[in-house]
Amino acid sequence: MKPAAIQGVGVVGAFGCGVASLHESLRRGPHPPGRLIFSAEGRGSSMAAYLADPTPLERFVSKRETRRVDHFSRLALLGACLALEDAGALEGPRDDLGLIIASGYGATRTTFGFLDSVIAAGDPCASPTLFSNSVHNAAAAHVAIQLRITGPTLTVSQFGMSVASALARALAWLAEGRVSRVLFGAVDELCPVLGYCHQRFFGDPSGPIAPFALHRHSAVPGEGAAFLLLDGSGSSRYGLIAGADLGRIPVRGQLPGNGSYILNAAGHPSCSSHYSRLLPTGAGVAAFTPHYGSFPTGQALDLAVAALALRDGQLPPGIWGEALPNGWQPATLEQGAVTCVTCDGDGYFGTIRLERG
Amino acid sequence: MNRAVSVAVTGAGCLCAAGPDLDSCLAALFSGKRAPAPPRLFATGHSVPYPVFEVGENFFPATCPADPGLLRTARLAIAAAGQALADAGWEAEALTGLRVGVAVGTTVGSAMNNEEFYRDFRSGNRPGMAAIRHFLASNPAAAVARRFYLNGPLQTVANACSSGSDAVAVGAQWLRQGLCDLVIAGGADELCRTTYNGFVSLMITSPEAVRPFDRDRRGLNLGEGAGFLVLESAALEQARPGRTRARLVGCGAACDAHHLTAPHPQGMGLKRALREALAPLRDDWSGIAFVNAHGTGTLDNDRVEGMVLGELLPQVPFHSTKGFTGHTLGAAGGVEAAFTVACLGLGRIPASVGCDHPDPQLPVAPVQQVTALAGRYALSQSLAFGGNNTVLLFEKGERP
Repeated sequence: MKPAAIQGVGVVGAFGCGVASLHESLRRGPHPPGRLIFSAEGRGSSMAAYLADPTPLERFVSKRETRRVDHFSRLALLGACLALEDAGALEGPRDDLGLIIASGYGATRTTFGFLDSVIAAGDPCASPTLFSNSVHNAAAAHVAIQLRITGPTLTVSQFGMSVASALARALAWLAEGRVSRVLFGAVDELCPVLGYCHQRFFGDPSGPIAPFALHRHSAVPGEGAAFLLLDGSGSSRYGLIAGADLGRIPVRGQLPGNGSYILNAAGHPSCSSHYSRLLPTGAGVAAFTPHYGSFPTGQALDLAVAALALRDGQLPPGIWGEALPNGWQPATLEQGAVTCVTCDGDGYFGTIRLERG
Repeated sequence: MNRAVSVAVTGAGCLCAAGPDLDSCLAALFSGKRAPAPPRLFATGHSVPYPVFEVGENFFPATCPADPGLLRTARLAIAAAGQALADAGWEAEALTGLRVGVAVGTTVGSAMNNEEFYRDFRSGNRPGMAAIRHFLASNPAAAVARRFYLNGPLQTVANACSSGSDAVAVGAQWLRQGLCDLVIAGGADELCRTTYNGFVSLMITSPEAVRPFDRDRRGLNLGEGAGFLVLESAALEQARPGRTRARLVGCGAACDAHHLTAPHPQGMGLKRALREALAPLRDDWSGIAFVNAHGTGTLDNDRVEGMVLGELLPQVPFHSTKGFTGHTLGAAGGVEAAFTVACLGLGRIPASVGCDHPDPQLPVAPVQQVTALAGRYALSQSLAFGGNNTVLLFEKGERP
């Protein structure tokens, strides 16, 4: 399939927002996580978490226009605006622009907020505003409305495989000439329920994330959004996306041993242990999850890091904590290509291959 | 890839309140039978018992018993996907070695909204993780793939009420890309208190049986179900001649970019999606036999849809099948794609039940009796929250 050129990148996460903030975080090293506050066992509680602030959205869209837009959609809208701005495409026609958004869990805060309205005041008092914003494609709707995107829109939700799955559609839309450009993005948010689930499944996160301690739990939950403006022009200041695929482990053979890989290893042994089965000895690896934490669509931020690396001609430092296992080596960009890989606990993996443009 | 390349539809399956399988559903549609009733799956605190279209437990096949580890949406998807495969003449074992993809549209099936769990959490208790495990195990596309041991690409589309149609479009694209030999594509959604309360809160739920395009329509009835198509590559189609029920020849999608829950008043997105879907026919639309309209029975949807059909396809018969199924949300596009393919094969469409007095404000009216078809093509269209509009164009195949 014809590669897609990355023309703009927009990111928001615990590191801040915009490619400059991500670049700075990659250069200096990650910030420590913040605290997610929630109630459990009848009392207030908090836990380490990488939280994102969408306040800079006010630079693009007035507060009035977003007064009924929730945190989840604000993250998406900010990421989308930043990607268009980065590409110099904040103005101009968008009737030939498609929109694809991936999300692992959707607008969880609003989903549970809607249930709050039902539980607190009864079924007849359910909030219509919260309900309409809790629908999975609400973020795509808000982005389309605010940015006047009238091409096809698609929202994909497959937990940890959402990014590779959705990006494959973006590449196909461009290859078929369905649209000339695609605004592709991914977004997930944290909420108290997800924090509680993290505690119940994995215990309290202590940080920092140790991505290459493949058999030790070190995950710290996160949230954020990453958007890319893609076209089929063949030239790009960031690089090209050559392919996006999903697969099931075990695979026939492993991924090529001479490649460079950015792993979305985020300190979950149930997922991370699969990387050992996918990548042979000698593979070049890096991971950047300590900058933004663990969330289902975190691979989109890996993708943004890969785009920056291709632009700059080098990968930022991406080895954390313990020594690399399995005879893996630190990844380089010597071959002008890098593959983002994620694995989930069910044995699925998603790959996204990027090349110099 | 060439968007003009059509894709063979070799099987269809459906499970909804109209019937436990596609044949039963069609029998109900052509007899005009429907039975909306207050919800039995859950209790509600509304003074008005807004009717719904539930799938009875006896509608599930014996091969698909209730599974406490799986959400109902996944169970509905597995049952209908199994029907579609059987209709296409495939045994699960015969799929081994083929690249089989699964594309499923849903809304509830991707939403973490277990009310019992959340009530417990909100009360300061420490609810167990069973509900969360069930949710994580029930992504519809993954659940179908797991059940039938499939190893091709998966996609769960969460495009609100156009999800099922969008999933069919995704499946066709996989075949054109050469990624699959066969794709199971459609939609699935269960009824639940959250969506029930949500739609009631939006004041678009009818207190009586739904009446799409009727003068006195008062809103939609929610439903549940699943509908799937089996799509096959040209190579598989040639290897198994005579099995093609229809061909998917066009897909169109566009966004209104207007409002979160209301359609564009001039139907801009729907017009664009229709034109894109009809592009393979160039300017000759004379062969269009009918349109399966979205026809939810809400004031806005039916007004916009009627206006667009009156403008672009004023002579083409159309109907809404939601009077028989309720609005099955993410499943609707899959259910109605299955109905569209089946009706094309039969050469007739059922009356648009519930429309006793066509809305005089609309330029067109749905068929009010069983109508024989003239033409080889049919459209199925879906409108959705978020302003999504998706239209599928089918051509009649070799077998009904």
